[in-house]
Amino acid sequence: MVGKRKRDAAVVSRATTTSEDESTPQPTADASYQDVFRKFFEAQFQPLEVAKLPIARDDESEEESDDEDLEGSGSDAEWGGVSDEEVNEVEVVEHQDVKEQEMDKHARKVFMSSKPPSSVERPAVKRSKKDKDAEDKDNVTDADNLKNDLALQRLLKESHLLESASELAPTGKNRIKALDLRMQELGAKASLYKQNMPSSHRRGIQAKADTREDKRRREARESGIILEKPAPKSSNTSAKRRERGVGGPSIGKFAGGALNLSKRDVAAIQGPRRSTKTRGRGRGRGRGGR
Amino acid sequence: MASTSQPPLRFTGHKNLVYRLVFSTLTGRTIQISQIRPSSPTNPGLAPHEISFLRLLDAITNGSQMEISYTGTILVYKPGLITGSASGTGASGGVIRHELPSGCSRGVSYFLIPLCLLAPFSKSPFKVVFSGPGVITSSTPNGDMSVDSVRTAILPLYNQFGIFNNIELRILRRSNPGPNGRGGGGEVQLVFGHQLRLPKTLHLMNPGRIKKVRGVAYAVGVSASNNARMIETARGVLNPLVPDTYVFSDVSSAPFVPAPEKTNPSGKKKIGLGFGLSLVAESSTGCLFSADVASPPAGGEAPEDIGKRCAYQLLETISKGGCVAPAGVATMLGLMTMGSEDVGRIQVGRDVIADESTIQLARDLTKFGAPGWGLRDASGENENGDVIISVVGRGIGNVGRKVA
Repeated sequence: MVGKRKRDAAVVSRATTTSEDESTPQPTADASYQDVFRKFFEAQFQPLEVAKLPIARDDESEEESDDEDLEGSGSDAEWGGVSDEEVNEVEVVEHQDVKEQEMDKHARKVFMSSKPPSSVERPAVKRSKKDKDAEDKDNVTDADNLKNDLALQRLLKESHLLESASELAPTGKNRIKALDLRMQELGAKASLYKQNMPSSHRRGIQAKADTREDKRRREARESGIILEKPAPKSSNTSAKRRERGVGGPSIGKFAGGALNLSKRDVAAIQGPRRSTKTRGRGRGRGRGGR
Repeated sequence: MASTSQPPLRFTGHKNLVYRLVFSTLTGRTIQISQIRPSSPTNPGLAPHEISFLRLLDAITNGSQMEISYTGTILVYKPGLITGSASGTGASGGVIRHELPSGCSRGVSYFLIPLCLLAPFSKSPFKVVFSGPGVITSSTPNGDMSVDSVRTAILPLYNQFGIFNNIELRILRRSNPGPNGRGGGGEVQLVFGHQLRLPKTLHLMNPGRIKKVRGVAYAVGVSASNNARMIETARGVLNPLVPDTYVFSDVSSAPFVPAPEKTNPSGKKKIGLGFGLSLVAESSTGCLFSADVASPPAGGEAPEDIGKRCAYQLLETISKGGCVAPAGVATMLGLMTMGSEDVGRIQVGRDVIADESTIQLARDLTKFGAPGWGLRDASGENENGDVIISVVGRGIGNVGRKVA
């Protein structure tokens, strides 16, 4: 029916421009009235300037409605059509920008959240395919660079483990050592080499190592070989004052809602003993009894 | 705090009571406020909202003492430490629930803005839920801004002092003022999780130009078309001036609060119907100006009028110039005063500083021992006659965070 309507409009416009055309019967009543009046008028006075605007607008609106139909089937038959009386009514076509609505939704989400809106609103950026490709390429080179960087860092850190420059990847014992180093760096709690064993064993091992070292040094001294200086003895860490948390007791241990004082703590509180005979003995006995 | 030896500072009158209490808490000075509405024949002494604020202060601090005289016209406040909503003091489960009485005629922003000023100096994060039959989230006829404006125009100001993490203002239920402008039924939660030792020194001397306008139109228990009508007229005024204008619409049902009667003890009623508009303009340098208009409790005003009034109010606020709107002056200058011992500068409009409340704020701050403000005319092309205020920080900051 759209097509038909269009034909109507075309006929009307032709009728208005060429007023001599009389033979064609006017399809619509309205148009024929107007035509008759116009002809009468033009017979009396000079020809009228035809106002083209309403017709043009009619065409426009029709075209727009056509466009709307296009996304459907676009066929004439499907559209039920408007009756001829409706032709004169104003067709309102509203354009709603889908993109704008989406932006609106995003902005609403940002603005109406419970957080104070930040001054910088980041619009949702849609990347084009071209950009994506370029970025992928960038990513590949980035990954390569990262890999090389990591290898270099490792080499710098673990080079002391390597015996020759020919083999860059450590093997065997050295590989374990390197792994241990890396794990330590990443925050492992204990070294791989730290073994859980009875303290008597550990002390035994330590003592054995000491005697061996002693023997080596002694023999070297006797045979006149100059050795490296002995490593400085690590100060005994347990003798140092332990770092305590804030709010803990300055003396004793707080456990189970009670402050537990060790003998040493008590002694520290009491201070150096004075040698008044009776008291000292009394206290000593008391402590012994415990 | 170390206020044992110092005599209390003496103030008179009920004006600026809230900020006096806030600065007393921040500086740790005891204050005595006398002559609180002494000549009012019907309601002498402290008003319900002021009492409620004192209760709130009591909940968020530890060890504060307040004495109110028999008639309520004299108040002695000895501040404690700002602890925030650490469990054990006034909080349950890390959240302080604060009930506002039904006679409260002030919007909840009356409590929120001073509370936010205290929050950065707290020992632990703030989580406060305002509930009860007196919570009005909209703007009120006595000049309180809406909760939306607090969120969009006041809270972003803290960003300039380096306070930005974990700040939220959730509007759980909206409410306009109830009958006669008293009571409501809203619910608002404030989360202020960024505590720091000292706020940054601020130098804000470029007002910039208005870049965008955002807003919220809210309708509580009335038709959403009111929102559309307000937005339409407001945009009609603002769009030719700022093309980037968006006003969002929020429609909610009216709060349904218990209203027991003799015959019907489990009766409930709807309260706080109405609508309103909150607009916020942001300049290119991040300065914020806000405007708020809501339907009067008596009704009888068309949404178009409210939209237009709000738009004009926004334009008026912007026309006052400077980097800070009158609504944000107390927050900005308060934070600058509490900052490190350094000179911060801020440009304000001449009308803003000539405001009664700003001058009162300056007087109160000097009384609390802050050095006076330095004023000079702004340089550059200064067609509005803006003034630059130089504020020296006191370097007190967060006493609760002093000990590492």
